[in-house]
Formats: sequence, C-alpha cells, structure tokens
Amino acid sequence: MAKQTDIQISICGSAGDGTIAVGDIFKRAMARAGYRVIAFDHYPAEIRGFGKCISRTRISTNQVYSMKSYSDVLVSLNDLHAIPHVGEVRDYGAIIYDSAPMSAVAEGAHISGHLMPGHLPYALPIRELSELATGANRSRNIVALGFIAGLYQLPQQAFHQAIAAKFETKAPAVADTALAAFDSGFKSGSSTYKFDDVQIDHSRARKNGGEVRMMTGNGAIAHGCLEAGIETFFGYPITPATGIMERLAVEMPRRGGRLVQTEDEIAAISATIGAGYAGARAATATSGPGLALMAEMLGLGVMAEVPAVVFVSQRGGPSTGMPTKTEQSDLNLAVWGGHGDARRIVLAPTNVEGCRRCAARAFEMAEKFQVPVIVLIDLYLSNRYETVFLQGEDNFLPKNWQRVDSGAPGDNYRRYELTADGLSPRCVPGEAGGIYTATGLEHDEYGHPNDSPDVHSLMSEKRHEKLRDAMKYPGINFTKRFGDKGKIDVGLLAWGSTFGEALEAVLLAREEGIRCAAMKVVMMSPLPARPILRFCNDCQQVLVPELNYTGQFANLVSGELGRPVTRVSHATGAPMDINYLLTAIRNAAKQKLRNKTTTSNPTKA
Amino acid sequence: MPSSTHHVVLGNGIAGNHAADVIRKRDPNSRITIISAGALLFYNRYDLPDVFRGRHQWVDYLVHPPEYYESQNITLRRKTRVVELDPQTQTLSLAHRETLHYDKLLIATGGHAYIPARLLDDVGLMHSFHNFRVAMQVQNAVRKNGTVIMLGGDVMGLDLARTIIATGHRVIVALDNRTFWPHEIAQSERARYLQALESMGLDIWDHGKVDHIEAGNSKGPARQVFFEDGSEIRGDVVMPFFGLVPTVDFLATSGIDMERGILVSPQLQTARDNIWAAGDVCQIWSATSNAYRFYYGYRNVKMMGEVAAYNMTGEQSAFESTVDEALEVTSKGLLHSPFWEYD
Ligand SMILES: Cc1cc2nc3c(=O)[nH]c(=O)nc-3n(C[C@H](O)[C@H](O)[C@H](O)COP(=O)(O)OP(=O)(O)OC[C@H]3O[C@@H](n4cnc5c(N)ncnc54)[C@H](O)[C@@H]3O)c2cc1C
Repeated sequence: MAKQTDIQISICGSAGDGTIAVGDIFKRAMARAGYRVIAFDHYPAEIRGFGKCISRTRISTNQVYSMKSYSDVLVSLNDLHAIPHVGEVRDYGAIIYDSAPMSAVAEGAHISGHLMPGHLPYALPIRELSELATGANRSRNIVALGFIAGLYQLPQQAFHQAIAAKFETKAPAVADTALAAFDSGFKSGSSTYKFDDVQIDHSRARKNGGEVRMMTGNGAIAHGCLEAGIETFFGYPITPATGIMERLAVEMPRRGGRLVQTEDEIAAISATIGAGYAGARAATATSGPGLALMAEMLGLGVMAEVPAVVFVSQRGGPSTGMPTKTEQSDLNLAVWGGHGDARRIVLAPTNVEGCRRCAARAFEMAEKFQVPVIVLIDLYLSNRYETVFLQGEDNFLPKNWQRVDSGAPGDNYRRYELTADGLSPRCVPGEAGGIYTATGLEHDEYGHPNDSPDVHSLMSEKRHEKLRDAMKYPGINFTKRFGDKGKIDVGLLAWGSTFGEALEAVLLAREEGIRCAAMKVVMMSPLPARPILRFCNDCQQVLVPELNYTGQFANLVSGELGRPVTRVSHATGAPMDINYLLTAIRNAAKQKLRNKTTTSNPTKA
Repeated sequence: MPSSTHHVVLGNGIAGNHAADVIRKRDPNSRITIISAGALLFYNRYDLPDVFRGRHQWVDYLVHPPEYYESQNITLRRKTRVVELDPQTQTLSLAHRETLHYDKLLIATGGHAYIPARLLDDVGLMHSFHNFRVAMQVQNAVRKNGTVIMLGGDVMGLDLARTIIATGHRVIVALDNRTFWPHEIAQSERARYLQALESMGLDIWDHGKVDHIEAGNSKGPARQVFFEDGSEIRGDVVMPFFGLVPTVDFLATSGIDMERGILVSPQLQTARDNIWAAGDVCQIWSATSNAYRFYYGYRNVKMMGEVAAYNMTGEQSAFESTVDEALEVTSKGLLHSPFWEYD
C-alpha cells in the first residue's frame, strides 16, 4: 500500500545563492503536483551582504499543521552556513552538497566532514553541472533543485511549470537557462542510487479538486482584505507586516481602492479611523512598535465606536528588538494596550487559511460591533507559506453600515443609543438626518460631551457588553478542540502560530499513549471563557505554550478563568520547538495536578 | 601515546575499520578519521550475494550501526575521495579541494577489479559486484531464470556464483589464465578444479580470450560476448572476475614505493615516516620468498589492520599470515578457497 508522504526539505545558502528563490519554486511545484505544503524561510536582517538563508519546506499528502522539528533532506549551497544545520537532519536522511567547489577549502570547512554517521551523503558537482548546462555557475540552486526532483522522482512537469511561472516577467532566456539547469540536475538525480529512506509517493498526491494557492500569512491577509472589498488602506512599512501593504499596493488600485503610505503609524491609524468613520472598509498593518504608537488612536476608535481593522504581525521585542525573528509578545498590548477601558476585538488566526478568513471577517465584525478589530499574527505566520485550497469561496458579507433608523432624523438621531445588545444605529457623514458629534470625549446617546457619573458608567458598560455577542459571530471557529475527547491527562491551550506545533506535539504524544488534546483559541478579546473552561476542566494539566517570556496568554487565561495553567514559554526568536513541547507534555503526564500557576522548563526534565 | 594524535585511516574496508577499532582501544583520546570514497557505513561485502535472496536493504549489511562511530568517537568521512598524498607536509588532498592533515596515516584503499586492456573499451557493458549499489544493479539486470556470464573466473566470484545458481539462474564461466586467481594452479591440477566448478553447477566455457562485448537486442539477453575463436555466448550480465589490482592511483606523486601495490615492511610500514599500509593495497616483504607479496582474504586483511594499528600506536609487530593458501576440493567435490573464509 502506498505510504503517506511527509517530508521536510531544507535548502541552505548565502544571500545571493538563490536559496529562497529555489525554495519558492520547490514549494510551488509541489503544490501544483497536489501536495499540501507548509514552508518557512529564514533570511538575514541585512538587505545586502552574505548572511545565511534557509528555505524549509514540508510537503505532505495529509493535512499538517507546522514545520517539523527535523529535516529529512538538507541541501547545502554554502557549507559554512549549512554546517551548523547538519544536526537537524534525521538518521538515514540525506545531505546534498557540492563536491566541486570553486576554490580550495580550509580543513574542516567542507560539509562532508560534518555529517553524522546516520546521514546519507550525496556529493554532486553542482557548480560544474551549472557551468556545463548554462555556461555560468549562477544556476547552482536550480541544479540542486533538479537533483532533488530527479532523486525522489518528482513530477518534472510541475517543476517546469513552476520555473516558467517564476521567471514569467523576465526575458525568455532567463527561464530557458533555469530549465536547462534544472534538467541537468534532474538527469543526475534520476541516475543516482537513492540510499536514504526518504519516500515521496506521488500516487497519494491530490489529483484535482478546487483551486490551490500558495500563500504566506501576509498574502492571505491581503487576499482576505480584497475578498472583503477593502476600500482604503493606510500604512507605514515595518517588518514583518510590510508584505501586506506591498501586496495591497499592487491589487487595490486595480480594483478602485486607495492605498496611502503615511508618514508614520500614528497617521496611518488616524486615517484608518477617519475612513472608517466616513463609512469605508479601512485597514492598516503594523508590528509591535507601530501598534504601541497607535494605542492612543485606538482609544478614540473605541470611544467614538468607529470600525477599523488593524493587522499586527509580531516580531522579537521590545523596541527595535529582533525585526527578523518571531515572537508572540504583543498580546498584552493588543488586548489591553492603551488608555482607559478600551475593550476591542482581537483575533489571532493559527494558520495561513485562518489569516485569510480572519482578515475578511474582521471587516464585518468591526462594522457590526462598531469597534476597532486587531488581527494579531507573528513573523512566523506572516512569512510562512501554506497551500490554501479555495474550494467554494467563503461568502464574506458586503459592507454594512446602513443606519438603523431609531426615530426621527435630525437632532433626535441618537448615534450612541443604549440598546439591549449595546449596538447603536450607525450612519456615515452626509446621510440625511445622520448628524451627530463624534468625539473622544465621554458622551451621551447623541454624542454630546458628558462626564456625568451615570453616563460614564452606562457608556462603559455599553462599550463592553456590546462585544459579548462577538464570540458568537459566525464563520470563524473561535475555539476548537483536537485530539482525545473527554477527560484527558494533558491539554494544550494554544494560540496564533504556535498552535500548529502544539497540535503536532499532541499527535506525537498520543502515539506514545498519552491521553491529550489541544485547543486552539482564535479570539483573544473578548476571551471565549466558557469553552476554554470546559476544556480546562477535562484536563489534569493545562499547558499554555507561547513564544514569549512572561506567558502573556497563560496570564490572560488564568486571570479570566481563575484556574491554574502551566506556562511553556519559549522566547528564542524561533518558532516553538515540537520536541520541547513534547517533553513538556511527557513531564506533565507524569505529574500530579499542581494547583498553582507554574512555569514549565522541559530542559530541566 | 599523545592524545592529540590525528590518526587518519584511508579506506572503509575490513583493514581500515579493524585498525580504527584497535587504535581507539589503544589510544582512547586520539582523533581518528576514517575516509571512504563510498556513501555507506562499513558493511559486510561478503554477504552481498544475498541481494539475490531478497535482502535489498543496505542497513541489513551494516557491520556497525551509526551509533558505533559516535560511541567510539570516530569521524567517518564518506563520499570523500583522496586524490593526492604529500608525505612531506603530512597532508591528504581531497577531491573537493580540502586538505586534511594527519599525524599517522594508514592506507587501506583495497583493490578493484582488474580489466584486461583489450576489454577496456567494453567496461560500460560489464557489471562489477564490489559494492551494494552495483550488487543491486546486477540483481535487477538478471532476469528470472536468466544467465550471468563471469569472465575470468577468479575465486572472488565463487560465492556469488553459488548463490546465483541456488536462486534459479545460470552461471557461465569463461575461462582465462586468471581463472582461480589468486591461487596459482599447476596445469596438471586444472582439470580437477574445473570439474569441481562444474559439480557446483557452473557451466564452463573454454573458448580462449574474449574479443569484445556487445549489447544484445531488446528481446533477448542484454549482452553478447564474442570470443577470438569466433564463438559467442549470451547472458543478462557480464561480470569481470580477473582478480584485483590495488587502488593506488592517488599515490602517483607521493614518492611512496610501489610495485603493483604499496611496498611495506613486515611491520606494514612504508619507507615514509608515519605512513603504514594494510589490506589488499599492500605488498608485504617476505623474507622466505625474498619478494614483496600480496596476502588476500578476510583473515589476512583483518590481521593486517590489527598489526598496523599496533605499530601506529607504538609497537613493532610483524605480520605473519596464518592462512593456508591451497585451493581445495572438498569431499563433496566442491571448490574451497581458504582466502575466502570469514567470521
Ligand atoms: C567482489 C569481491 C568479493 C569478495 N569476496 C570475498 C569473500 O567472500 N571473502 C573474502 O575473504 N574476501 C573477499 N574479497 C576480498 C576482500 O574483499 C578483500 O580482501 C578485503 O575486502 C580487502 O579489504 P581492504 O580493507 O583492504 O579494502 P576494501 O574492503 O576494498 O576497502 C577499500 C576502501 O578504500 C576506500 N578507497 C579506495 N580508494 C580511495 C580513495 N582514493 N579515497 C578514499 N577512499 C578510498 C574505499 O571506499 C573502501 O572503503 C572480495 C573482494 C571483492 C572485490
């Protein structure tokens, strides 16, 4: 019987080797060939120079949720960069490298001297093959790609198409050169005896059904914005969120939208709230430092009940921190950041498809609940590629700001009318009878400034209580449980990009016989306390893995639920390590329930 | 012994691995590097005929699991070909343009199949059997009930021939003056040994020298062998069994003394400081023969690895073969070469 395919290939080189480009072709070709793909690239913070680039791609015939903690194949386009990653290749996995480097190599500087005994070496004259096929050594990356395709008997056609698509906008000679390099590597791979046990079974790949797209989290957010009919976007570039603006800058003008690069983040959020006030579907995108600058205006959005969507992609902080490393340390800022009791909606998708869905729904929710909505992701999700199967597009709701007439027009229009569900009739400037005062000052139902104790108390309650129904908003699973049902030993409560690793760790732990489950939480504010509490009550131990030092989500959960959870914090700038989580699960399964919030350090197991 | 000594063992065969094992025992802290042109860990080559019995996973042939190298702190560099040795600077040049310094070097690069000059043009039409990959190729190329043609018929091919016959195929041995290599057979004895080959199920083809080999047509067997007397035989694969030649090409500029193999003293030391040789690659001085001699087969080679390792770590032992060199015909009428016994 055909086996499931689930392998991870890492390509490592120096900036300029075309590592990321060739990884991109690989993932797109594999998506074309019917595999599910998830990929994450690592590249240097510096724009120029010779920093390390790694493109890691996991392909599978089944749904997968994260990158693997190890690779099955490593390709070295630069040995000095690749040598430190040799250890991430599993036993009987493959290491492919250049056996004919351009210049002499110092003792110990060639990767062949660093392989572990369990690795299978493939010494390929990559440079020579590139020169023979194309007359230059620039196509080493494509030769190596062709070798992989040949060695593992991957469909050549899918690669040819992906290469042609990649160089579509360049002179035809560029694609021809790349195809020649690919074919030369393919020929070499096809005639090489495969010693490793990496199996890619093409018969199990998905043959058809629905449109497949390769998207990053940022790309999926832009896609969701466009599907939702975004009209205006104001932004100021910042890693890792810039990709959202870049994509929208190309697409929005084609669809009659407007995108403005503002002078800073304060201007971006101000303009977004202005556009929302004027009735447009408006958004901005930033990272932690930008969100900090936006905090004041978010308060205005909450107070004046103006819809606005803010996409936030977190990176290592505080301050400039680690702009090209991932972290989940802006949760506190997203949920609580700012002055006053400025409750807003915060959504944290857990995968690329979720980014698209949350982005589109964020506009609907901002309009319905008349409040800024933050969609919180992190660099890992921003830049991670996944196959998204667009089977029967979701039907996202069109813009909906029509005033609900609550009485006579003119002076009697109560923009902030106190209603049973807290939602008041909204209108936009210019609408007949819709004149009102929109202000950051506390106000009465008409919008007139009023700081009386009763008004402040009622309006505060309104602004909070109107969000209660947000947890029931259709079209997104705000929480979802995976794994064992009923009472279990260990439960993982995870959010954002970390959920993928949490679920993979749970699946591995279940194979070891540990009864466990993972719950993803997508709505961070207001927190869906009831399903979370039900889940926690089923668990002997609740672990909360996240990419920050203080355990921000763990604090949020234990604060709202009054229930102990165990933090599994990982603040290294890298995605969550599945083995680290697995160790934490094993340890927790052994322990008795501890009735206080504690910190778990699996390395001290 | 100084613990920082870098022992480089060139060759991942019996001689090299046995030597590395002994060096590690005698000098627990030294650095040991084994260099191999092949891709795999040390595996049992003598069992390779088992590919015909369905043993198709190379891991099943491993002598040591991967953990062995880690536990012994031995660095194994595979797919690493040495192209030059400079005894002056004590460095090896590797094909991928890296140089490697050694303090003590053991050359154990073994031998490879000898191909008579007249057949060099046809090398691409012959299959060898010296490693797992090519053994699998042979197995794949031989059709059900198909035929294997063994040219020459040295005793290295005996076990393989036996297995091929036992698994339902036919083996034709085309005789040559290297038949029974490395045993030297008196003309008067030859008929007796040939009869033994026949009792083992091999078909004898005694038509003199091979003229050339051709690829067969797509319908019939893949190879045709033409002999100088105008005769012809057909088979799925043609394999050269004309004996071994030592693998010494990388020593051309080294100044190491060589005849066909590397010339060493009974202590397995070359005339250059800090360089020893062991296994099929070396010719050892024999006072009794008053000549440099080859000693083949598992037990000799293993012993050489051990002797070299002792001497590299401070001893002065001499190699002495304990293998009786006569080719025998057993009571059942079968051929038996004492060289080719292993445990
Ligand atoms: C087909 C065949 C079948 C045999 N069957 C038997 C049998 O059944 N019983 C028996 O007793 N003997 C048998 N022998 C003989 C036996 O294999 C040898 O006597 C023995 O293996 C020699 O061991 P060695 O360590 O000297 O060299 P080998 O085992 O030949 O090892 C040589 C090593 O040197 C490495 N090497 C060579 N050149 C270079 C280079 N330039 N750079 C880097 N590495 C290099 C190779 O990669 C290899 O690892 C057989 C030999 C062959 C060829």
